[in-house]
Amino acid sequence: MLTDLYEFKKDLGKRGVFFCLSGPISQNLVAEIGSTLEQKISLEEASKSTVLRVFSTVVENAQNIMRYSDEKDEKLSLGIIAVGHESSHYFVLCGNMVENDKVEILRKKLSKLQTMNRNELKEYYRKQRRQGPPEDSRGAGLGFIDMAKKASKPIEFDFKKIDENFSFFSMKTVI
Amino acid sequence: MDNLIIEATKYTPEVFFDCENHVLDLKGKSYPENTSVFYSPVFEWLEEYLKQASDEKITVNMELVYFNSSSSKILMDFCDVLDAAADDGKNITVNWVYEEDDEDALEFGEEFQEDLESVTFNLVQKVLDDF
Repeated sequence: MLTDLYEFKKDLGKRGVFFCLSGPISQNLVAEIGSTLEQKISLEEASKSTVLRVFSTVVENAQNIMRYSDEKDEKLSLGIIAVGHESSHYFVLCGNMVENDKVEILRKKLSKLQTMNRNELKEYYRKQRRQGPPEDSRGAGLGFIDMAKKASKPIEFDFKKIDENFSFFSMKTVI
Repeated sequence: MDNLIIEATKYTPEVFFDCENHVLDLKGKSYPENTSVFYSPVFEWLEEYLKQASDEKITVNMELVYFNSSSSKILMDFCDVLDAAADDGKNITVNWVYEEDDEDALEFGEEFQEDLESVTFNLVQKVLDDF
């Protein structure tokens, strides 16, 4: 692993990734990652809106991992978050384990968002915010809609079946 | 009653609710892990305050640089409480302060403005102090 570390870093770089974290995610960590990324992206002369959208997408993803990852280490939730830049856009990748029986619900939710344009997403967000969170939500139930709304193209996602209990959920948001 | 003063943290805003001068400031970032833990005392204070307020002019300044989606729900509830009080005859002005090139903050403000019927809701562009 020691000698491969450089190759691993280079591989991330080749994929445009300039930040990557795999492991337990906590609220304090979210704040630190957020402010570090904010500094880095501000240096690249991105607009205020872009900086805040990347920051916001990282926060929503991280808090999703904290709330919903089915891979836990005591109280800490495990997942992976990566931020990168390709074809003049920032992107945020996020992944975590989910129980297989949640896959179809998530797939349905996300597929629906993929078909909506920006105005539809805006309206849907307002409607859901007014309606209050669905039963299975541990927040306001708005995280995915918020990310879809801030993205410059439809969010992409994938479920990889790991064993009879778990799948690995991954999602990509292009800002 | 006492003023409500809560210092800002990395992920919760500064709260400075002044019941003598009737100015309520909410300023900073809002993305706590659990929004109701942070906002419960804020709502309790607000409801108590509105109950005892008469016809004085109440100014609410909301200057949120960033808030996560669960805070967005809470902020809507917060504005709803103010709107209901205004509907009840209280004189309430909300200033939604946003930074010049932050399109999303402006859009959120516009949505709140559309939704609220009784409070005076101003969209205020912040003058950036560049040094």
